[in-house]
Amino acid sequence: MLLSVEPDGPVPIYQQIRDRIVEAIAGGRQPVGSGLPSTRQLAVDLGVNFHTVNKSYDLLRQEGLLRIGRKSGAVVQRDAGSGPPRPDWAQEWAVRLQTLLAEAAAQGLPAEDIIRYCREAIAAFAFPEGQP
Amino acid sequence: MIAARLTADVIVPFVAVMLCLAPVVTRPTVPFGVRVPGERAGAPVIRQERRAYLWRTAAVGACCTVAVVLLQNYGSWWLTRIILLLEVAADLGCYWLARQKITAAKAAEDWYAGHRQIVVTDTTWRTDPPRFPVRWLIPALVVIAVTVVVGTLRYPDLPARLTVAGRGGRQVPKSVVTAFAVVVGQVYVTAVWTGMMLLVYRSRPDIEAADPAASTRRYRRFLAAVTRAVLTLVALVNLSLLLVALRNWQVYRLTGAASALLVLPFVVGLLVLAAVSFRVGQGGSRLPGGAGGRGPAAGTDRDDDRFWKAGLIYVNRDDPALLVGSRFGVGWTFNVANPTAWLVIAAIVAVPAGLIAISAAVGL
Repeated sequence: MLLSVEPDGPVPIYQQIRDRIVEAIAGGRQPVGSGLPSTRQLAVDLGVNFHTVNKSYDLLRQEGLLRIGRKSGAVVQRDAGSGPPRPDWAQEWAVRLQTLLAEAAAQGLPAEDIIRYCREAIAAFAFPEGQP
Repeated sequence: MIAARLTADVIVPFVAVMLCLAPVVTRPTVPFGVRVPGERAGAPVIRQERRAYLWRTAAVGACCTVAVVLLQNYGSWWLTRIILLLEVAADLGCYWLARQKITAAKAAEDWYAGHRQIVVTDTTWRTDPPRFPVRWLIPALVVIAVTVVVGTLRYPDLPARLTVAGRGGRQVPKSVVTAFAVVVGQVYVTAVWTGMMLLVYRSRPDIEAADPAASTRRYRRFLAAVTRAVLTLVALVNLSLLLVALRNWQVYRLTGAASALLVLPFVVGLLVLAAVSFRVGQGGSRLPGGAGGRGPAAGTDRDDDRFWKAGLIYVNRDDPALLVGSRFGVGWTFNVANPTAWLVIAAIVAVPAGLIAISAAVGL
């Protein structure tokens, strides 16, 4: 998996690392059971502080996407084929999605364009066979 | 003495050629230690400075080589070292001049305007790491073993005082330490270089934002090729030391120019390493492209000039890396802001210093 961050960008680096890993899981580039580098290794490879990567991995662990073992290292625990999430998770996510969609509406993007963007994004995700 | 003089005569032109051609093996996106966006790599100012550097360093190298040859019958052994030092200093001056010009053009025309500056890594570098070519270590170890065996066989027949290599062919009393000092040297060289290459295997690869997947593959090939060349050099250095040991142990006598044969394996090793470096380029930048990019690049390599003092020394407190790819020529350099780097350097220096101190203390 290729992972890129913008160190001088407006988004915090730990957030960028977390976002890129979530995208890779959704896109099928990091399926369930696949490993990620240790926090120290990823920190060296990106030239960022060790605690930054630790923070990203911790977020992903709390979200249930990553399992961090002492021996196995960081391993992906969920992906598009792992079945539905907890019901309360979907509710929380819907709130964040509302904000994101509201940004587009507030800028005057027509509803059909918003839906088109959503479709394009979803088309790049690796849903298991048989799902619409 | 003649061997030492010949070595000096070889080293000055060798260093001259290496420094003169260093820009060829350097990454095109870091000309003279200045990070530039890919599309600026062929900018007129860069082409001009490369030409100027080539001519200036060629002139410096020619002058120093002539000086060494003319002055070899005057002065002492240190004269060639002073010339070598002056040569390196003058070439670094040429490097600095070129760097100043390119930095000025980059700042004046704001080359990074509108570029999204990113750092890219390929996680497979860690999840599927390259293997250290352990088998290439065998020749170096075999040479050490041969040295030990020959030394053990010769030891009972050696005279009470041994003539050892060095200035003037000093006489020292025979003991296991004086007879086997060469083996210690072989073990040291092998351990230091193997240790450094193992550290390099754990350090980060140089990945280009413009084409991360292909540049990671090139880096893997580069690392494998350079490691093999380094381990070959180590074996040949050990061989040179074996030849020295055989002379010390009076297996043969060498006089006059023939004593230059002792350094021949070492020189061959250096040439092999140089040839491999020119073939692959820094980080594999001279290797063929491979599969090519997958769609448009996500961004440009981050402008990290502020962490490179004089374009040569990497100082970045926020970077946990111990070793990073060097910016000039082929190889790696320490992140001197990392305390571990100083520990490693201290260990490399302390071991021979300690051995010399111990041998002085026991009266050798």
